[in-house]
Amino acid sequence: MADNPGHPIRGLRLLLILAMALTIAGPAGCRRTDGEQPVRIGLAEPPRTLNIWLASDANSNKVLSQIYQPLYAMDPETLEPVPWLAAAMPRHDPVDNTYTVVLRPARWSDGTPLTATDVAFTGHLIQSFNIPRYAAKWAPVAEIEVPDPQTVVFRLKRPCANFIDGALATPVVPAHRWAAAAEAARRSEKPLAALLNHPVTDPVGCGPFMLAGYERDTYLHLRRNPHFFASGHTIAGLSLGPHIDGLLFKVYGTSDVAVLALKKGDIDMFWWSIQPGYLQDLERMPAIEVIASRRSALYFMGFNLRRPPFNDLALRRAVAVLIDKAFIVERILQGQGAPMTAVVPAGNRTWHNSAVSSPGAGLSRPQRIRAAHRILHDAGYRWQVPPVDDGGRIQAPTPVLLPDGMPMDRITILTPPADYDPHRAMSGMMIQEWLADVGIPATARPMSFSALLATVKSRHDFDAFILGYGRLPLDPDYLRTFFHSANAGPGGWNMSGYRNPRFDRLADRSQREGDPQQRRRIVFQMQAILGEDLPYIPLYTPLLIEAVRTDRFQGWVPMLEGIGNRWSFCRLRSVRADGDRGGA
Amino acid sequence: MPMGRYLLGRVAESVLVFFVILTVFFFLFRLAPGDPVSRLVDPGMTPEEAALLTAQLGLDQPAGKQYLIFIANFFRGHFGVSFHYGRPVAEIIARRLPNTILLFTSAVLISALAGIRLGKIAAWRKGGRLDTWMTIGALVCHTLFLPWVALLLIWLLSFQVGWFPITGMISPELWIVGDVTWLEKGLDILHHLALPLMTLFLIHFGSYLLIMRGSMLETLNEDYIFTARAKGLPERVIRERHAAPNAALPVVTGVALSLAFSINGGALTETVFSWPGIGRELVFAVSNNDYPLAMGCFLLISAVVLAANIVVDLLYALLDPRIRYG
Repeated sequence: MADNPGHPIRGLRLLLILAMALTIAGPAGCRRTDGEQPVRIGLAEPPRTLNIWLASDANSNKVLSQIYQPLYAMDPETLEPVPWLAAAMPRHDPVDNTYTVVLRPARWSDGTPLTATDVAFTGHLIQSFNIPRYAAKWAPVAEIEVPDPQTVVFRLKRPCANFIDGALATPVVPAHRWAAAAEAARRSEKPLAALLNHPVTDPVGCGPFMLAGYERDTYLHLRRNPHFFASGHTIAGLSLGPHIDGLLFKVYGTSDVAVLALKKGDIDMFWWSIQPGYLQDLERMPAIEVIASRRSALYFMGFNLRRPPFNDLALRRAVAVLIDKAFIVERILQGQGAPMTAVVPAGNRTWHNSAVSSPGAGLSRPQRIRAAHRILHDAGYRWQVPPVDDGGRIQAPTPVLLPDGMPMDRITILTPPADYDPHRAMSGMMIQEWLADVGIPATARPMSFSALLATVKSRHDFDAFILGYGRLPLDPDYLRTFFHSANAGPGGWNMSGYRNPRFDRLADRSQREGDPQQRRRIVFQMQAILGEDLPYIPLYTPLLIEAVRTDRFQGWVPMLEGIGNRWSFCRLRSVRADGDRGGA
Repeated sequence: MPMGRYLLGRVAESVLVFFVILTVFFFLFRLAPGDPVSRLVDPGMTPEEAALLTAQLGLDQPAGKQYLIFIANFFRGHFGVSFHYGRPVAEIIARRLPNTILLFTSAVLISALAGIRLGKIAAWRKGGRLDTWMTIGALVCHTLFLPWVALLLIWLLSFQVGWFPITGMISPELWIVGDVTWLEKGLDILHHLALPLMTLFLIHFGSYLLIMRGSMLETLNEDYIFTARAKGLPERVIRERHAAPNAALPVVTGVALSLAFSINGGALTETVFSWPGIGRELVFAVSNNDYPLAMGCFLLISAVVLAANIVVDLLYALLDPRIRYG
């Protein structure tokens, strides 16, 4: 085999030429504009739809919240509703149970005037189609009247405490763009499906930005809306622009890559929570600012109260004592969060009941075991070898025996998988170990999120689970949704099957109560009852860690749920343009 | 016409297999745990409203009836509407398929060409230093963990050196400018293509090299190679005309099937490089119980793989005159 078949590199000349061509292609293709300078925002996933009624994913809503606007928005400081598209807070007539809202002068992004008819149209659309995510908020509305183009009157069927935070915080859509689609949908065999599947390629809204381009699922470009109603106005003490040309959303599949893009200056903000592992690196960079915000989030362990063993309050209390929330926050969340006590997160200052305490808070591990052992022993649970001996020393116990003398079956703690949420999966494993300290046989079992939700919400075939609500509304009406006995059936959100007539009465009253102070007292009582009955054990609220570049734009407005909010995008200014250093 | 009859038989067989796959997937998705509606609703929604949405999506019907509706629509060319996009599945796939073909099909072709070429050289120089290094290199590359290689290359060539963009398929900053020519846009896509292509090449070329090398070594021991040598034919002719074409037969099968599977994309590659292809969409559809979209992706992959099998059989007959169908 003397013949030389050629040097391998020489044989791969074509490949090398191709590689060089691809490298050279860059500079030729990367001509940049010196004109428009949008704020570049990294997203973890592309927005799935521009149809506001279908949009259930976070990224579609991030984009659409810049286009469609509600009548009332949340004040970044007080977290109370403030007039946004409305000119003032609504005039409430408790006798007729009506709310009268006067609109600001406003235009849609296509220049058409925005009138009260558009608001009424939006309400009727939601009600007639039963649009998911909005229909429940509009259920109390009996009638919508339009006495003049700037005024809309809502007549309610019954008093509704969260009407402003609910229905009036719904984005308003233009009647002239949606009427034909709605009519066509009504004529179809499946009206709701037809409306949700209505293609929207050029959304017309009244927000600070309007769609400029959307290409190949890789970017979405919003340009400043020249007709934005709040431009030059001061709302919630903030003078509003927008002062930037637009927003350019770019998609990054992983946090690793998005963080590199942020460091390199390819994006100005990554609109997603930054993992603690990146913080040290990012904090060292002078052009990057890391901002930690509180969240309206609840991560909890829930029990199935419909069947043994967790229909026993003593067992739930023992579990609550054994769970070391501070450990979960420090070790699993790496300090980027706070232990939860009440079901309403502490970040929700108006409604959080700080008097609700966490069982076992501040106790050491041996103290927790002793306390749990005492609770279980007093309730009739026994062991062949107890976790605490007669001298008060901790020892390895045998499996616990139920009060009827039978051994406890192994319980399963369902969690989302680690690739979906490592914190919850890891918390499940830690709780499994802590329960073993008192002889409770438990196994943490990760399962796909969809399967987990179906199991705990519809089939009710479970012992315990760990789930979370990443973005709870500020109004605490969700307490009624999660714990009222009327919602304990298959498909209802009372996944634990919690039934307490006293709680139900308070929940019903809280929904009707018009006096904010009185309602606050009721909501506090509801939290106290839940703290006693423990259908859920609130575990932790993670912090939202975001990172932005400060060398191109400044003026981010921090608030609950982070800096990615309408106030920020209306306040940002180019550093080069005017040297403004306001904001965050 | 034995060849024509054979082809007809194979096509009929493939159509049958396709419908078996379609049926299995259809029921498998519905048997899998998870509720598609649960991902579309929020806690404020009552069970009655959720039931309405379920009915609107056609999921309230018995699985058998849903299947019959699906089949009827399938023959009319309707593959359903994605629950999350609200758009026809065919439209979503059509938008993403060219991206996948551009990246993954190019990667398979380039890797195969390089692997076959290098495998041939390695076998010809069996036992030599070049063979040893090439075999070790191929084994190492073949066992590399793709996301690790991808991130390493991004960090080195994009972040540190700045030769390539950090992921994505295009530079939006360029595309939002009104006066950009198609040539500039094309060059921009090529520039973004380089790094993922390089990663896939590194991962895949080793397997082709090893298959080709093994096959070539077997062929070189065949009697007809000794005969050719005894006839005094030049070494280059023996290698290129007698050994290589016969050795390439198993590689052809591998390449053809890899080409077919390349439309499946690769969720890991597409995720790390933010490449808008079929692979990521498939993972999204499955994990979010978007039945119509998941079915559409799987059926497309099944159809192409079945077609590729037929093409491979025909190619065999073309490459090896000894093979006759009938």
